[in-house]
Amino acid sequence: MSKFLKKSIWVFHLNTGSCNACDIEILDVLTPYFDAERFGVKLVASPRHADALLMTGPVTLEALPKVINAIEATPRPRILIAMGSCSVGGGIWHDTYSTIGGVRELLKILKEREIEVDHVYYIPGCPIRPEAIIYAIGLIKGLVEKKISSKVKKAVRRTSG
Amino acid sequence: MGKLGFIKILVIAGEAGRVTRRYPFKPETLVSEDFRGRIEFDETKCIGCGACVNACPPNALELVDKGDGTLLLKYFIGRCIFCWRCIDVCPTGAITGTRDFELATNDVSDLYEVVVHERAECSECGGKYSTIRQKEYVVEAVPITESYIDKCPDCRKNKLLRALERRRGGVYE
Ligand code: SF4
Ligand code: SF4
Ligand code: SF4
Repeated sequence: MSKFLKKSIWVFHLNTGSCNACDIEILDVLTPYFDAERFGVKLVASPRHADALLMTGPVTLEALPKVINAIEATPRPRILIAMGSCSVGGGIWHDTYSTIGGVRELLKILKEREIEVDHVYYIPGCPIRPEAIIYAIGLIKGLVEKKISSKVKKAVRRTSG
Repeated sequence: MGKLGFIKILVIAGEAGRVTRRYPFKPETLVSEDFRGRIEFDETKCIGCGACVNACPPNALELVDKGDGTLLLKYFIGRCIFCWRCIDVCPTGAITGTRDFELATNDVSDLYEVVVHERAECSECGGKYSTIRQKEYVVEAVPITESYIDKCPDCRKNKLLRALERRRGGVYE
């Protein structure tokens, strides 16, 4: 956990072609009810002022050049927070003709163009719950423990041979 | 508005009290009874039939044939839209839904869950087909299948075709 992540994170909301449900939840988190500003999270109007990019949507081909521009404009060290199933794994649009299919494909493209991203966080959910966003903020700041881990289970056969 | 207006606001704020949730500092019941979260597999019940894979709208579930006699049922939480259609279609009730939404991570490999199945081997051609668990499930449900279930679908088909040939006086092999 770097020291930089513990400070107030200013975020820029980057919609890359989402259905808007995730975006509504981000606004929800900023209301007094959930109040993300108590963690120092502030929405800013330009990626040049931002520490982190809140990315929603599966990155449509139309949005791709603009997304790359926005990521390039963010000062380093930059955090990319992929929000929602669309953003993390392409969601319901993962194999459609007009999207690249989420942040993992985007990271490959960024690597090709030698644009570095220092931290990437993934928040699944469709749409993400406001509490899930708050949990993610807590995780980034080291307030909560990571709960999820990959599991490999072996199917149990009844008969032998 | 003046000073008096400010007092009015204070009164309203006093009546409303604190509305901000204390999460994550204090545990609270956050989700309702019918909230849908992450799904979980019971590896003792799953037979690897792939009904859930068929039903999953975003292909968050996949069946992957590793080619070494194992079949993987892969669940990628990062793509799941938490519709729980897989739970509805599962014939053995191997999938349970949880209310878990705390899934944020900094490593995408955390978001995979895998059930490893052994594939069944055909007694005639030695090829791999279905899974051992599915074979057991079918025999349990319909015992008469035991006489031919250890052959793969292709061998069964060939057997039937040969039988038909013989009845029509066709060419013997
Ligand atoms: S993850 Fe779901 S709710 Fe969010 S933008 Fe994609 S489709 Fe919409
Ligand atoms: S038994 Fe249920 S969980 Fe296992 S593959 Fe079939 S539908 Fe999916
Ligand atoms: S809940 Fe829906 S999206 Fe998730 S694995 Fe099941 S069928 Fe697929």
